Amino acid sequence: MGTKEVPQEPRKDTSVSLADAFGNRGAEVLTPKSEEEIAEILQKANQEGKKIAVEGGGSKRGYGGTKEHYDYTLSMAGNKGVVEHKVGDMTVTVRAGTTITELQDFLQEHNQMISIHPNWPDQATIGGVIAANESGPKRLKYGSARDLVIGLRVVYPDGEIIRTGAKVVKNVAGYDMNKLFVGSMGTLGVITEVTMKLRPKPKCESLVQVSVPEEKLQDLKDLAVRVQDSMIEPVSLELLNTALSKKIINQEAYTLLIAFEDVEKSCRYQEEWIYKHKPEGADVEVIHQQEAHHFWKTFKNLEPSGLTAPAFEETQAVIKIGSKNMDVYEIMKESAGIEAGVKVEAHGGLGHGISYYTLSGPERKVISAIQHLRRTAEEKKGYAIVKHLPYHLRDEIDVWGKKTSYFFLFEGIKRTIDPKNTLNHQRFIGGI
Amino acid sequence: MFGSKKRKKPQRDPHINKLIEIVGEKEVLYEDADLLSYDCDGFTVHKAMPKAVVFPANTEEVAAIVRYCSTNNIPFLARGAGTGLSGGAIPLNREVIISLVKMKHLLSVDYENRQAVVQPGFVNLKLTNSISDKGYYYAPDPSSQYVCTIGGNVAENAGGAHCLKYGVTTNHILGLEVVLPNGEIIEISEAGVPDSPGYDVMGLLTGSEGTLGVVTKITVRILKNPEGKQTVLAYFDHIEDGSRAVSDIISAGIVPAALEMMDKTAIEGVEAGAYPVGHPDDIEALLLIEVDGIKAGISEQIEEILNVCRGRNVREVKVAESEEERGRWWANRKTGFGAMGAISPDYLVQDGVIPRSRLPEVLENIYEISRESGLRIANIFHAGDGNLHPLILFDSRKPGETEKALKAGTACLKACSDVGGSITGEHGVGIEKKEEMRFVFTDEELEAQIKIREVFNPDDLLNKGKLFPTPSRCMDVKKIVKDTVAVQ
Ligand SMILES: Cc1cc2nc3c(=O)[nH]c(=O)nc-3n(C[C@H](O)[C@H](O)[C@H](O)COP(=O)(O)OP(=O)(O)OC[C@H]3O[C@@H](n4cnc5c(N)ncnc54)[C@H](O)[C@@H]3O)c2cc1C
Repeated sequence: MGTKEVPQEPRKDTSVSLADAFGNRGAEVLTPKSEEEIAEILQKANQEGKKIAVEGGGSKRGYGGTKEHYDYTLSMAGNKGVVEHKVGDMTVTVRAGTTITELQDFLQEHNQMISIHPNWPDQATIGGVIAANESGPKRLKYGSARDLVIGLRVVYPDGEIIRTGAKVVKNVAGYDMNKLFVGSMGTLGVITEVTMKLRPKPKCESLVQVSVPEEKLQDLKDLAVRVQDSMIEPVSLELLNTALSKKIINQEAYTLLIAFEDVEKSCRYQEEWIYKHKPEGADVEVIHQQEAHHFWKTFKNLEPSGLTAPAFEETQAVIKIGSKNMDVYEIMKESAGIEAGVKVEAHGGLGHGISYYTLSGPERKVISAIQHLRRTAEEKKGYAIVKHLPYHLRDEIDVWGKKTSYFFLFEGIKRTIDPKNTLNHQRFIGGI
Repeated sequence: MFGSKKRKKPQRDPHINKLIEIVGEKEVLYEDADLLSYDCDGFTVHKAMPKAVVFPANTEEVAAIVRYCSTNNIPFLARGAGTGLSGGAIPLNREVIISLVKMKHLLSVDYENRQAVVQPGFVNLKLTNSISDKGYYYAPDPSSQYVCTIGGNVAENAGGAHCLKYGVTTNHILGLEVVLPNGEIIEISEAGVPDSPGYDVMGLLTGSEGTLGVVTKITVRILKNPEGKQTVLAYFDHIEDGSRAVSDIISAGIVPAALEMMDKTAIEGVEAGAYPVGHPDDIEALLLIEVDGIKAGISEQIEEILNVCRGRNVREVKVAESEEERGRWWANRKTGFGAMGAISPDYLVQDGVIPRSRLPEVLENIYEISRESGLRIANIFHAGDGNLHPLILFDSRKPGETEKALKAGTACLKACSDVGGSITGEHGVGIEKKEEMRFVFTDEELEAQIKIREVFNPDDLLNKGKLFPTPSRCMDVKKIVKDTVAVQ
């Protein structure tokens, strides 16, 4: 495996404008080629009190982080490739810098997939997706990273290499340490290798799009409730607001995306079920296989990311809201109250409780829209975190929202594993 | 043994008085005779007496007990139904046992959001029974579900036959209220909202075997019953054919709801037990396979399964013709552990996990262990996810046999970890597999986990001595196990 000169020739960061806009970048970029190199870099930095920003594909540069200066960017881009694919066991072990698309393309040849469908699959690395706990509409049926990751290799800030979990699909030996790193925003360790459960590629994929005009929005909720109370098994039940529907399917309407992935007969049966129960006057479109696939591909590349150069004239933000399933609907309804001048593109899962809002407009208005959404979510015992926002605004809006009453446990965990704050300092909740 | 003490009315331990102040006289057991049934759980090889057993009625009482124990340096632990199979609820340090069995209520059900809130002592199966009239159920289904508590399930991250498709306990927990070892009450994801910001403390607590906190309230996901369900029973003359059929089914892209296997000795046991179904006595293996989901798609998958089995020389394969027949097959399987009592005075359940493609060779190794130890081993297990349950049959009255059984158990776990597997898939480490943790983790990895425990449980008063083979402590335990074995 790779050479051992550490650190290698530092490369000057050329993407200065993105770094200025989104932060989370070090003065030098290191691109280690192997886990040993990563361990050496960390150990040295830790000893010398240097600060490291960890980066996968860079799509989440705008996600959290209030620290002005890091000494190094540790790029995982050099750590790619499938380490082990056990076809019969339906598990795969892959280096953390592999992109989602690279992994899916590889698995596709074996008629398998990872059932996590995050945004920006061509850029987002599996390590980054897990560290940021990214998911997509299909988590309704397939679950999220915490349900699918069965093992990790992690380099601790002091250079120690730890394995968590195992390469088997069921395991309760010791603490479930995988969970510690899923969603930890790289503040505890550098994930170098990921082992995940796989699923067979569905034999049939279909997507039913049910659209209704704004005044009939309630009809979509009723349909969703009905679906959830039936024996239909959709993989998504994603509600889109009008701005987003307009953008993707050119419909000036609220749209419910009901996807099915199963054997063909089941898909057809369920499509028909939706047809039978569709609200009066609703527009229903059904697409299949390649077409459905294509739709989701577009869908996953819509939101602004840390790789999109920010527009001059307007501010863009992406908000992730967690709520009870059906509150997704209520929150979307109330988002109509966001003041004019801010464009709001929103979608949320009526069966899984996660919504995303892309806001664009004048800076002040975007800020107050974020506050509006956060208030609405918190009133419903949910939360709103800011997944994407220019660096200079992240001091003003606390990305992670209010601290939980058990925040001291988070601090305790961070202190135990990264006492010198070597990794992604101030990237996470409460300045961790 | 305790008779003489009783009459004297000795000074009551002041700590007991204090506990009585918190929960009331009737809710504290402290006399030896009353404590006897708390000296072990489902792992009966090891026994130790608690200091007292307390039955709190609510979270505040739990917190008060914990606070009292913690300020007075008294070891304590939580207990549900006591069906744990790895000794997690055994009081190694004369603990005060906090029994959650009186906190046994279903607090609320929210069908629209598909969640239910339960107290920790609520029995697993009762949840499904309470919501089945509306067509809903709670997915994790350990075979002990008619008695074990959801609090105990959370602590062990319990699995079950249908976890192959639906996931284990951790995949169904949406929120937890927990009393931390210092008595503080915390509420994680109060409304059952996913991806709570911050480290996934809920994920850590689930499966922590009662060493990080006492769970006092649980929000779980509930699911709608599948529209259709079909169950297949397949008999094989050669165990290898059965094992290969398991891999073939999964490789065919089918995700069965359950895929269970029994070998010849296990079949002998279940047929001698309370729910025989008339399996032939001369087959080497059987598979119990269930497919569920949209009715329209099931028959096609069943057809594929039948073909796979035929391709692996199945002797007979049949589809359950009625719900009654399906029920009988499952009762036969789910009471499998207990049924071993019909063919052996004692049995020890093991719980290794392997990559399922390695099934044939690992089973062969287990039979070798059986031959070497001279003890029969029955295998009845979740084949679909590679979770083996070798049941080591022994007679504790025969000198040395308990020790032999323990040794054979360890050897089985070694056989699993040697092929890249795990030492436990659902029963937990407890005290039983502490030493075996070294089969799968390095010292550094164990240390990393212990450090997490110290964040939650810095004084190690909560369920002390479980899970980890700390050098000094594990020597002690080995000795204790040995002594216990010697006495029996
Ligand atoms: C016949 C039989 C079949 C079984 N089949 C299965 C199976 O298919 N799958 C499976 O996974 N398990 C199985 N088990 C094991 C056992 O039933 C499970 O581990 C179950 O989850 C234990 O629940 P309990 O209420 O009995 O917990 P207990 O045995 O009382 O406790 C288990 C552990 O949890 C801790 N604990 C209990 N309640 C709490 C709480 N509220 N807060 C914090 N910690 C707590 C205890 O301290 C202990 O460490 C089986 C057991 C038997 C006897």
